[in-house]
Amino acid sequence: MATLRAEVASHDRVSDPGAAPEIFLLRLRAPEITQKVRPGQFVMLKVAAGLDPLLARPFSVHGVEGGDLLILYRLAGKGTRLLSQVKEGQELTLWGPLGRGFDLNVKKPVLVAGGMGLAPLRFAAAALAKQGREVSFLCGLPGGDGFSELCESLERWAGSQVNFSLATEDGSLGVMGLVTALMPEALAWGDAVLACGPIPMLGAVARLCAERGVPCQVSLEAPMACGVGACLGCAIPAAGGGYLRACQEGPVMDAAQVDWERL
Amino acid sequence: MGAAPNMSVTVGGLTLSNPVLAASGTFGYGREYAPHLDLAALGGLVTKGVSLQPRAGNAPPRIRETACGMLNAIGLANVGLEVFLRDKLPFLAGLRQKGLAVVVNLYAESVAEFAELAGRLAGAAGEGVSALEVNVSCPNVKGGGMAFGVDPRAVAEVTAAVAGAAGALPVWVKLTPNVADPAPMARAALENGASAVSLINTLLGMAIDARARRPRLANLYGGLSGPAVKPVGLRMVHQVARAIPGAHIVGLGGIMSGEDAAEYLLAGARAVQVGTASFVDPGACARIAGELTEFCRQQGVADVNELVGGLINS
Repeated sequence: MATLRAEVASHDRVSDPGAAPEIFLLRLRAPEITQKVRPGQFVMLKVAAGLDPLLARPFSVHGVEGGDLLILYRLAGKGTRLLSQVKEGQELTLWGPLGRGFDLNVKKPVLVAGGMGLAPLRFAAAALAKQGREVSFLCGLPGGDGFSELCESLERWAGSQVNFSLATEDGSLGVMGLVTALMPEALAWGDAVLACGPIPMLGAVARLCAERGVPCQVSLEAPMACGVGACLGCAIPAAGGGYLRACQEGPVMDAAQVDWERL
Repeated sequence: MGAAPNMSVTVGGLTLSNPVLAASGTFGYGREYAPHLDLAALGGLVTKGVSLQPRAGNAPPRIRETACGMLNAIGLANVGLEVFLRDKLPFLAGLRQKGLAVVVNLYAESVAEFAELAGRLAGAAGEGVSALEVNVSCPNVKGGGMAFGVDPRAVAEVTAAVAGAAGALPVWVKLTPNVADPAPMARAALENGASAVSLINTLLGMAIDARARRPRLANLYGGLSGPAVKPVGLRMVHQVARAIPGAHIVGLGGIMSGEDAAEYLLAGARAVQVGTASFVDPGACARIAGELTEFCRQQGVADVNELVGGLINS
């Protein structure tokens, strides 16, 4: 799994024009990766050539279409700003797929996304639907601002097998409240949770699942240098002491493996 | 094009197929990188620091990117000697059989612990280990917590103890740059049984989030590495090479390319270690070894040893 140079097939802003959150969909021609990648895995991507920024960034995979690898990301800092300036036809350096993905051996999966946590969960939903599973996909956002087109396209994409529900804290889209408010109803049906989002949200999801005895897989992120298990930078506090590496034992872990108090 | 240049070097009691080794703490125990490059292209590797007991490491956040570099405060997390010998050494022994130098980096907090580690590795390691590298940047707990590596007497004492316990295994001492002049530390190591000195370890640094008014690392301070530190590494290698004629030096700090490696050789190093570059490109060690060969070919250098110390007298 040497590093690859992948051509940018397309690179579009998918958040609403003029809205504050700037969300981009990057499509890379990377058949070497798309052949192997499983939902929940990630790639390390150099956002720009040269020595500054120095490190590659981990990005979860949003989907696979033929030999194209899809990455959905939000502009959050210097690295993603540089990435957002990359044009169609340019090449980017990356390596992967890396890490442990979701266990898709579940019967009635409830997918719980907070904000950009929807990036890897769409890939998981697509794979589950392809297996013939019915999927409940819950998505929580602070507000609808910027996300309305993205949510509409997700709803269109979801089709009949994926039941898409939305909650916003300001009530501007879907139900007003946190995504966890949608969980009791979904768990009346579902028997497994796959979650990705901010840590406080994941902690709440993990608690709710533990109370109900529902197995819960969480996708975690941490500052990461190498992505291959060597630097030990991406430490996640483990239940029972010590640390797990987000890049190797994760990014998807059983919620019971994680020490939520120390995280 | 002429014949392929000779890339073999001798350093610190070892003969390497080429001067490029992977640096401690950036290459795991070797196996982590097996899917990413041809390990046989390396001159050797230095393991993650091994301590007598397993260490969980520091609380996160442990790393922070900085301009042309990164800070780390991993806290020397490692599996401990017992698991190292049982689970990690067999793979390393296989690499050694393929001609790679396998250097085991040691971490301890007292002279007695260092000697015990060295003795047990020398006894148990058999054919799997080529040399030991002593990390003297760690706190000397019995000496009041100050790093061994900033006091020439402490460097002398720990080197003598490790060399005495290591039997026939060559001992390298990895020096810290967090001193005014590394030459007294290098002399203390080389006069007390070290076959070579490796320099530089990371520069102590800090990163701050001004908006949140918080340090970026849970540990407050971390070690700076990457291309930002290369000028410091070159200067310190040059200082030691000039102060101690004939000293065997392994140079490291910010090497990202074959030409960077050539700079370290010219400054006085006989071999180099590649660290942070492996995080930026998992194939970096093999790439850099190839680039150094190509550099020699392009420059009409028939033997890479011709570069070594080329600038000591300038």
